[in-house]
Parts: sequence; C-alpha cells; structure tokens
Amino acid sequence: MESLELRRHVTIGQYVPTGSPLHRMDPRFKLVAFVALVVAVTFTGSYLGNVALLALMGGLILLSRVPARYVLGGLRPALPVLLLLAALQVLLYTPEFTGGEGCVTLFRAWFVHSTTCSVKLAIVSAARFVELLVLTSLLTLTTTTTGLAHGVEHLFAPLQRRFGFPAHELALTLTITLRFVPTFAEELERLIKAQVSRGADMGGASWWRALRRARALLPIMVPLLLGALRRAEMLVLAMEARGYVGGRGRTRLVELRSTPHDAVALLLALLAAAAILTVPWPW
Amino acid sequence: MDTRELVIEVRDLVYTHLRDTPFAVQALKGVDMEVWRGEAVAVLGPTGSGKSTLVQHLNGLLRPQHGRVRVLDYDLSDPNVDVRALRRRVGLVFQFPEAQLFERYVGDDVAFGPRQLGLSREEVRARVREAMEAVGLDFEGFKDRLTFTLSGGEQRRVALAGVLALRPEILILDEPLAGLDPAGRRRLIALLRRLKGERGLTLVLVSHDVDDVVLLADRCFVVADGRTVMAGTPRELFSHPPATLAEFGLRPPSIMTTMHALADRGIPVRRHCLTVDEAADELARALEGG
Ligand SMILES: Nc1ncnc2c1ncn2[C@@H]1O[C@H](COP(=O)(O)OP(=O)(O)OP(=O)(O)O)[C@@H](O)[C@H]1O
Ligand SMILES: [Mg+2]
Repeated sequence: MESLELRRHVTIGQYVPTGSPLHRMDPRFKLVAFVALVVAVTFTGSYLGNVALLALMGGLILLSRVPARYVLGGLRPALPVLLLLAALQVLLYTPEFTGGEGCVTLFRAWFVHSTTCSVKLAIVSAARFVELLVLTSLLTLTTTTTGLAHGVEHLFAPLQRRFGFPAHELALTLTITLRFVPTFAEELERLIKAQVSRGADMGGASWWRALRRARALLPIMVPLLLGALRRAEMLVLAMEARGYVGGRGRTRLVELRSTPHDAVALLLALLAAAAILTVPWPW
Repeated sequence: MDTRELVIEVRDLVYTHLRDTPFAVQALKGVDMEVWRGEAVAVLGPTGSGKSTLVQHLNGLLRPQHGRVRVLDYDLSDPNVDVRALRRRVGLVFQFPEAQLFERYVGDDVAFGPRQLGLSREEVRARVREAMEAVGLDFEGFKDRLTFTLSGGEQRRVALAGVLALRPEILILDEPLAGLDPAGRRRLIALLRRLKGERGLTLVLVSHDVDDVVLLADRCFVVADGRTVMAGTPRELFSHPPATLAEFGLRPPSIMTTMHALADRGIPVRRHCLTVDEAADELARALEGG
C-alpha cells in the first residue's frame, strides 16, 4: 500500500536533537572530520575497505543515538535507482571500462559482458552511496542550521581575510540548500496530495511502474519549481524584514567553543580516514 | 431497521504521522464515526485533536494503520482498493487552500479535476463555470487570475470550486468557514444547504465554530485527543452542561448561552434553543404566557 508520506524517508537536512556526543561536537571540527571521511569514501574501491567504512558508519549511527531505522530510511526512495544502476554496471561495463587487471569473465552474450570487475564496481558503488548518504544525513541530523553555517563560515574565514572570499555568503547558501531538502520534500508531498485528491493518477502502488510514475510526475514538476521560487522570494522578504545585511559586522548569539574532546574526536576521524585509505586491502 | 444507506463507516481508527521516525505523532487513537447518505455531519474538537487526520482518511489520502475505514463500497484497508475511483466520488476541501491549489491560473486549477475525468473541452469549461459561479466567483473575471495573488477568502472559494467541479457524491470540508467574512459565511452556508437539499450531497464538515455547526449539521461527532468522545444530534450534544462541553474544548451555541442566562434569572424559557429563530419563538411564547 502506497503511503504519501514522503517525509518519512527524507533524512538529509533534518535535525534530530538527541544530545549525543556527535551533537555536542564543535561544528568546525565536525565539518573537517566529515570532509576527511568523505575523501576516504571517495577513494576506497576495495571490498574490505568498504566493509570497514560501513562498520564505521554503523558506529557513527549508534553514537548519534538517532534511530538507525530512520537514518537508513533515507535509502528507500533511492533504492530503485540504485538497483537499476547496479544492474547496468554489472551487465554492460566491459573490462576496458572498469580498467581492472585480472578480470574474470562471468558471462558474455551479445553486448552483455559481466566480469568480476564489473560486479565489484557495482557493489562498491552501492556501498559508497550508502556511506555518503549516512555521512551527509548524520551531519545535518546532529548539527543545527546555525551551527553548520557558523562552522562553514569559520573554516573559510582565512580565505576571506586573504582573498576576500565570500565565506559568509557561501555558508548561508550551503545551509539554506541543505535545510531546504526536507522543505522540498514537504512541498512535493503537498502537491501529490493536492493532485491525487482530485483524481490524478500517481502510477499505482508499485515503483516498478516507473514509466507511468514519471509521466504522472510531469504536472508536479512545474508547480514544484514555481513553488520553490515563491518560497525563495518569501525567504528574501523575511530576511530583509529583519534587517539582514550579510556577514559584515554581524555578532553571534552563541560563540563556538571547542574543547579537548573535539580535538580528540577529530583526530580519531582523521586517523580512521587515513587508515582506511592506506591499508593495502587484499581485495 | 431502516433503509438509509451507510456511506462512511470508521471503526477504531488509529493513525501515527511520520511513523518510524523521531518525529512520529499519534494523531488518532481510536476514532469511530458513521455517516448516512444525504446527511450533514460535523466533526468538532479542539485544536490538534485529529480532525484533519481523520477526514484525510475519507478520501484515501491517508490509509488506516489500524482499524477500519469504509467509504461507499471501498474498504480502505485493502491495499488493492481503487482509491482513484473513490477520490472522484468523494471530494475533500483541504483545511488550508494554499495547500490544495497548485496551478498558476484559477481556471486551470478548477479544471484539474474535470480534466482528470477525461471530459471534453466544452464539458470541462461548463463544469468550471458552474463550479466557480456556485461559490460566487465570476467566471470571466477570475479564470485568468494568478492563483497565488488571490486573497485568502478568494483562494478558499477557488479550492471549493475545484472540488465541486468533480461533482462528488460526498463532500468533505475541513474548516470551510474559517477566514471568511460574515457575508461569505452566509453565502457558503446557503450553498452547502442547497447542495445537500437539491443534489442530495452527503456533507462532512470539520469546524470549530458551534454556531455554524448548528446551522448545518444533522449530527455531530466530537473528537478529542484522537478519540471519538461524543456523538449525536446538535440538540443532544448541546444539552450536555457547559462544563462537560468545555472539557472537550466546546462551548454551547451563543444563543444557548443567552438562554441559559435568561433562565438563570428566573425567566421561564427553555434553555436548549440552538438557533436564533428558535430562541425568538421561545421568548415570544414566554412573554405572551407571562
Ligand atoms: N502531516 C503531518 N505530519 C506530522 N504530524 C502531523 C501532520 N498532520 C498533523 N500532525 C499532528 O497530528 C496531530 C493532529 O493533527 P490534526 O491536523 O489532525 O488536528 P486538527 O484536529 O485538524 O487540528 P486543527 O483544529 O488545529 O486543524 C497534531 O498533533 C499535529 O501536530
Ligand atoms: Mg485541522
């Protein structure tokens, strides 16, 4: 049975206060740790490396005290695309494409060519996707909007002083983008509800009726984009009405203060990332 | 025992919004309700009691997580039920018109439903004209207006027109009178009465305002904290003492409060008058008799 509650599966951009150590971590340190782990995910192409990363993600979810079911729920809407992608990779990526040495052909017929390399690529890509999703979700699930904005702004502050890089504006844009992901999902949910309540067809209960669904989505896309523009306009109005002038001369309600714990946490993250990157995983 | 047709039957309905997330809210904990064809039923209750959640089940926007919802011949607990067909026979006007409207132009928005029915251009146009005029919007004057530049009251009417254009058998309205001026309220009440009388529409309306309810409803359900706590005709409901009503966030109709005050001062009138007309008759009787 189809549920129209899309927001149940949008974890990126949500904030869930649980008071865990991850929540208490200084956002600047958290951001650096985040980047280090993203780099580790990006450059780990081995099975075992990804097993280690997945285990690490599991540990981080436990540490955040956000229900694992909720964090992983964010995978659900992406599942069909992931499966399709994996299938294409397995079936169509030839050894020239995957570029691995010692690929063993598993199956070959017509233009279909599966090798151990293409299977590996598909599995590793899927694992990476999960890891990145967990990382990004955890970042926003455990950090307030203002925390994120200040963190980004602090990290880019040296660039601003040296080259006039617009750190404040970048921080603002990034955080608004992230925070608007759930808002966008809400808007999508609203439009779907508004249209189906007047007899529109949403392609039935099953996701494999992809074509019908895609067609049903067309009349939703236009109002969705227009709605986003309207919302942006409202946001500008709201900010200007409160006298927003940008970064210059702004003071903060909460000053960021780091503790030795933050340094230790960051060090651990860097070590983990470095270890995963340098260990010569046998396969 | 009687020949009336039961068109809506809700039994022990339970619903949690955003289930399995940290934001879960149990909005319904056990709601019962039944509606017979051709009657007008009001759903009353304090803010946040679950009224909107309940009525969203009635046209299949939400599916029961526990309990039973049957509307016309459709059993909504059945995953294979044809909700699309149901939604064409049961129209739902949302609580917030800005949540319901999505097309750029008023005319297109009202035409969305009829177009889904696959009607011809002329027929769609005729239905849009009829629906807009029924809610007091001039067809030529409004069809090319931008939906989101309309005033709140105008948006509310467009939203209603968009649902009426489907010509539903059952019309569900979530707080239809909120935000309308007194003239707009009177017109809408008159329209709803006409729809019920002439077309035999079944009405379910959610409201906070007991004065409007007594003008429209044949029966009432009171929902508090996700459960049905009272049910009955307005007369039965409002014969409960004011203190009991206040427990569920209700008050007696204004005119009844006046009659209570008169009776308390020793004037020999019946307390339980629901409408101004009834109260006037009662006062006339008391004055003549006295
Ligand atoms: N889409 C939603 N997502 C999450 N929670 C919701 C949603 N809709 C309603 N709720 C919650 O469910 C509860 C019941 O809400 P509902 O809108 O049904 O109340 P209501 O009786 O219609 O109130 P009102 O009279 O203010 O319109 C509230 O606590 C509300 O916060
Ligand atoms: Mg409501």
